[in-house]
Amino acid sequence: MLYRTAGQFKTSYKKDQALFPVRQDATLLALILGLAWIVFPFMASEFAFQTLLIPVLVYSLAALGLNILTGFAGQLSLGTGAFMGVGAYACYKMITIFPEMNLIVAVLLSGFFSSIVGVAFGLPSLRIKGFYLAIATLAAQFFLVWMFEKVGWLYNYSNTGAIQVPNIDMFGVAVAGPLASSVTKYYFVLFIVTVVTVVMINLTRGTQGRIWKATRDMDIAAELIGINLLKSKLTAFAVSSYVVGVSGALFVFLWRGAAEPNLFDISLSFRVLFIAIIGGLGSIMGNFLGAILIVALPVVLNILPELFGIEIASATVEHLNIMIIGSLIIFFLIIEPHGLARLWALIREKLIIWPFPH
Amino acid sequence: MNKFVKIAAATAIAMSGATAVMAQDEGLYIPNLSYRTGPFASTGIPLMNGQRDYVAMLNARDGGLNGVHLEFDECETGYSTEKGVECYEATKDQAIVTQPWSTGITLQVLPRTNVDEIPILAPGYGFSAMGDGSVFQWGFNMPSSYWDGASMILNEISGGDLSSLAGQKIAFLHLDHPYGKEPLPFLEAMAEANGFELLPIPVGLSEMQNQASQWLQIRRERPDYVVMWGWGAMNAGAISEAVKTGYPMDQFVGVWWSGHDADLAAVGADGTGYRSISWSAPQPDAPVMAAVREHVFEAGNSLASEEELNSVFYQRGLVISMILTEGIAAAQDHFGSATIDAAQLRWGLENVNITDERLAELGMSGMVAPFATSCSDHTGHSGGWMLRWDGDSFEVDSDHLSPDSETIRALEVSAAAEYAAANAPWPTASCE
Repeated sequence: MLYRTAGQFKTSYKKDQALFPVRQDATLLALILGLAWIVFPFMASEFAFQTLLIPVLVYSLAALGLNILTGFAGQLSLGTGAFMGVGAYACYKMITIFPEMNLIVAVLLSGFFSSIVGVAFGLPSLRIKGFYLAIATLAAQFFLVWMFEKVGWLYNYSNTGAIQVPNIDMFGVAVAGPLASSVTKYYFVLFIVTVVTVVMINLTRGTQGRIWKATRDMDIAAELIGINLLKSKLTAFAVSSYVVGVSGALFVFLWRGAAEPNLFDISLSFRVLFIAIIGGLGSIMGNFLGAILIVALPVVLNILPELFGIEIASATVEHLNIMIIGSLIIFFLIIEPHGLARLWALIREKLIIWPFPH
Repeated sequence: MNKFVKIAAATAIAMSGATAVMAQDEGLYIPNLSYRTGPFASTGIPLMNGQRDYVAMLNARDGGLNGVHLEFDECETGYSTEKGVECYEATKDQAIVTQPWSTGITLQVLPRTNVDEIPILAPGYGFSAMGDGSVFQWGFNMPSSYWDGASMILNEISGGDLSSLAGQKIAFLHLDHPYGKEPLPFLEAMAEANGFELLPIPVGLSEMQNQASQWLQIRRERPDYVVMWGWGAMNAGAISEAVKTGYPMDQFVGVWWSGHDADLAAVGADGTGYRSISWSAPQPDAPVMAAVREHVFEAGNSLASEEELNSVFYQRGLVISMILTEGIAAAQDHFGSATIDAAQLRWGLENVNITDERLAELGMSGMVAPFATSCSDHTGHSGGWMLRWDGDSFEVDSDHLSPDSETIRALEVSAAAEYAAANAPWPTASCE
């Protein structure tokens, strides 16, 4: 009923290839965007901004970047955390060297630095595949984090070896640093995430996306139909690392406010990889669903006992939390190995033919 | 719509919940960002137990503090900075203090406390520069900072005369993390001034349990002393490695977080002679211990085990809570009201005055050295003692040691000014 497509006729190729061939999809997206842009900012408390909204967006963006590489182009990477770090440190250096720089420009530029690093570490992908490539990107992970620790220039030789976000103004409004309000930070992140997501949706639907998918599905066949694998794989690394780098800059500048090198440790890479896998490889929406499950759900579970007035020690809640999230991950992967995005796609299909299943 | 409804519902719950959460009816809400899970849990648990039990004892014995109930609560971080910030955000509306319990979390929360106006209490950890109270108005790290600790260690091993260290080699084995790097500026300054060679040996977070390469380097370089800034699994790793390589234990000195009974119990008599500087000392016979036993432990309200009660860390936990409650009491006294808010507690923590008489009243004589804080001095620089492992437990092994306050003060002021400049606009207060 809700998803009845009867009466929605496509009378031209253009209409058939539209971003939303089914009208309800567009309505749903408009609703979500409305929530994100208008409703949440008015409803949310400081706590919700800092622990739910902003982190979900930042992690979604990081997973989106990884998904371009792993889900669309089929190249497994374990270096996401370090590439995020490159973005964050690049942004930090630019902001400290040119304090007048517009933060949006700095964030978008910092992606290019991680893009360059990503391409450099992507070079072996031409010769090695699968798990072997994962090991090569793992090298990037360790090397880059080691560099964040050792190269004093990167953290301006501060005593602690950590980077600290200064107060940054944009048009007279504090957008980053301790003085910035959470709403401003949220809108900043939301703006960047929306723009990048729209670009990525269109990129993956177009020629470039098809080239990546062909490379992913069978690289020899792709080569035979005239795809330049070198270009295909390296563009995937470049675009993916760019998005990951931007998310890294947002991660530190608009959310954490400070970062020590081990923040970009392998556990961060795994976290982003889990989001991408559980959300659904090869999908855009999956990243957001995955981030909600991995990032937001534990926070919600943590506050539930207090909400219902149940007295449990905080450490016990944490243990329970780990168990619940773990079993949920297994549960979702059993009922739909292709991730939450695929689960939603199935539900949607069922809704379209409901109440007359085949 | 299923998924969407679920998401919307979850978000709605979270948001409405976030404001309702921690709704405390009365009493003073003092949360602790604890870590009873994760890689550092073994060292965290006794400390958290000590903190918890002291407050529980006050509540049970005196009905709180000056008649007002102390609402002690824990928020589990697992030592993760991400969870720490989550806890800070969750508790800050009601809390009169935040106890971050990790240098990483302190780093993230410190700039925000200025805006949120909530005092941050980091006894014996956090930034050493927090001692400059005119810059770090909301930060407190009494009774001793890491620079104090480094200074006391140097004073003790040089026998009070730093110039006697000239020509010697001191290896500085530290966790490669903001915490481990903290004393480096001080040690470097001292090495330059006194002509000894400083050999920093970092231990990465991933190699804490396997320090073979670091100890190979120590064996090759043959330093006269090894000074350790370790935490969690790193301590046990270093101590067992030192035993294995046969490094003389009496030349091996750790900071106060490297003096955990359980780490040394693992090597037992082989660890005899290992020393750890400490601003607190265990006093099993102190009257406060009897009170804790009577009102909390024997009442079955403690999470601690019998053998834990006399450990260094558990008793340090008691001292930490005592510092906080003394700050609260000072504020209550000054503002003439039993219930105080965060800003009033800030005043209280700035005016803590712990004297020998006061310690005797509290039944804590000898558990911490007397100290006093002021507007410009948020550390107090209590000094401390050297604790020595005798194969079975830690015993006080020195007279009261004092840090080189003058050198440290100069460093504090310059580091604080640097921090304020990097985070401009940073509000500073003028003391006096």
